[in-house]
Amino acid sequence: MASTQGTTATAGSVLPAEPGSPVGGGVDREFGVEARSQRQQILRRFLHNKVGMTGLVIFVLMCLFGFVGPLLYGAEYATQNRNAQSVGPGEQGYPFGSDEIGRDLLAGLMQGVQRSLFIVLLFVVIALPIGLLVGALAGYFGKWIDSLLMRFVDLVLTVPLLVVLIVVASNFPNSRTPLGVGIILGLFGWLDLARIVRSQFLSLREKEYVEAAHAMGASNSRIIFKHLIPNALGSLIVWTTLAAATAIILEASLTYLGFGVNGANQTSLGRLVSDGVQAAATRPWLFYFPGITLLVIVLSINLIGDGIRDAFDPSGRRVRA
Amino acid sequence: MFFFVVRRLIASVLVLLASSLLVFALCAASFDPLAQFRQRQPPPTQAYLDNVAEGLGLNDPFFVRYWRWLSGILTGDFGNTINGTPVADQLVGRIAVTGRMIVLAMVLAIVLAIVVGVIGAVRQYRASDYAFTFLAYLLIALPTFWFAALLKEFVAGGINDLVGDQVLYTIGEQTPGIELYASGSEIWSDRLGHLVLPTVSLALLSFAAWSRFQRSAMLDVLGSDYMRLARAKGLTYRRTVVKHGLRNALIPLTTVVALGIGTLFGGAVITEQVFVWNGMGRYLLESGIRDNDINVVLGWLLISAFFVVLFNLIADVLYAVLDPRIRLS
Repeated sequence: MASTQGTTATAGSVLPAEPGSPVGGGVDREFGVEARSQRQQILRRFLHNKVGMTGLVIFVLMCLFGFVGPLLYGAEYATQNRNAQSVGPGEQGYPFGSDEIGRDLLAGLMQGVQRSLFIVLLFVVIALPIGLLVGALAGYFGKWIDSLLMRFVDLVLTVPLLVVLIVVASNFPNSRTPLGVGIILGLFGWLDLARIVRSQFLSLREKEYVEAAHAMGASNSRIIFKHLIPNALGSLIVWTTLAAATAIILEASLTYLGFGVNGANQTSLGRLVSDGVQAAATRPWLFYFPGITLLVIVLSINLIGDGIRDAFDPSGRRVRA
Repeated sequence: MFFFVVRRLIASVLVLLASSLLVFALCAASFDPLAQFRQRQPPPTQAYLDNVAEGLGLNDPFFVRYWRWLSGILTGDFGNTINGTPVADQLVGRIAVTGRMIVLAMVLAIVLAIVVGVIGAVRQYRASDYAFTFLAYLLIALPTFWFAALLKEFVAGGINDLVGDQVLYTIGEQTPGIELYASGSEIWSDRLGHLVLPTVSLALLSFAAWSRFQRSAMLDVLGSDYMRLARAKGLTYRRTVVKHGLRNALIPLTTVVALGIGTLFGGAVITEQVFVWNGMGRYLLESGIRDNDINVVLGWLLISAFFVVLFNLIADVLYAVLDPRIRLS
């Protein structure tokens, strides 16, 4: 072996061990693979997913447009032009034109993106815990609790969600603000999440590690929060992205029908889009710019959801549906 | 099969009963039938309001009011509007208007979803698959009313100019007063011209999601053992896909379509608003919500719930037809 010292290692030889390393440590250094945690693997898969990353880049750009844009652009949406009249894109210093009472559409879009993302955040903050709780209780405990909760969910789903939202919003105090719309969407938007969580928990509760936790005397709440929810995280994140996209469209639909954001200088993407529909024939820029902005945000969120779903697939071979 | 259908029918009736209770509770909690009286000028006295509340039965316990309403429904009486006209009379005519749009949109969406889903699965990762995937993503991201307005304002005019005649109409479900001077075939062609755009706008948005499900289900089926066995037995690829693959791939789509009926009803409310159709959607918004008329809203919600339950029942029967194991279990 001495003859090989200081020379290039041949196929059959072993590299000398480094000081402090176990014998044969050289082989480890040569061929060893650094272990990655599940979280790192998921993140790596997502970062290598073209669809998901495209969505993420677009979404980040839209967030910058909504939150950093107003600081750079400087114009206020509430400020009307001198004659309070609508001008086309590029005229009188309005890059995207102005609306029917002379407000800057670009500033409106920035504010609209902000408010719509606030509505989405509020929706998720309310709907996620409710759906998670109902689904977890139904899936983990099963039997009559499952029957009771899921029959209730099935019943509510017999009535079109949009119409339920209209009925509630029409008689709900402060429902014409982003806050009100977000709350209403959150209170009724958890039904499909409850079903997803339930189906996940029904399969997860049969796993060996849950039995082991039971045997070690872990409480039900500990098993749910420490063992089951972390393993259902993939479904929760995917639901969050897809539901967020749906919430933006629902808010726009509610506003179009007259039950969404509707106050003086209160705006959201939905409000701008629905106002634009009324002006489609006469002032098409009010129709196209808000519509395309909303389309891009929803599309980017859906692409992120698709990327996350691929990343969470442990086999890494999920066929994209 | 007969007993399977009977069991499902009984379950559906029970679901509908429970749904009627839920609908009534939602409306009772949301609506104030006295609001229209309170807004009058000069304001009415409290004694008058108490008298009206007594007359409307608002002082009765919840379940007494529910039973009174339900027993009326069972005899075909949906109550009266605040103007005193029977709700049932209005609903019957409007169901026909909305029904033809929803049914046609559903058929169109299902056919397109199956065709596009199967092509996407069979030609996975080819140019056509990517094109359909992109189209589906685009349509899923569009609000119904924006897409409908796009068709109304920019597509209809273009097609009419191309043909050199008005073939697509953008307002109403038919030309007003056409029954007075037109023949039966002219009335039908007029209705068809009014029907195209709302139906297409409603169908394409449902088709987008359904085609993704169909593609996914078809991919699962194409990778299964029995498909390989069918090919090994010497069946042609086309016959294998259509005869063995499609039948099994339709089961998930059946579920999705049945669950999507509620969404179609919601979409119809918006589409009717864009195209100014005097169907159930406009009736709900203008006579129900805006006038704070609880009987109109209750009638609308119950009918939509009935159709959701009905389509779920049809889906259950279709499962049994598509998969014999279900009806035997």
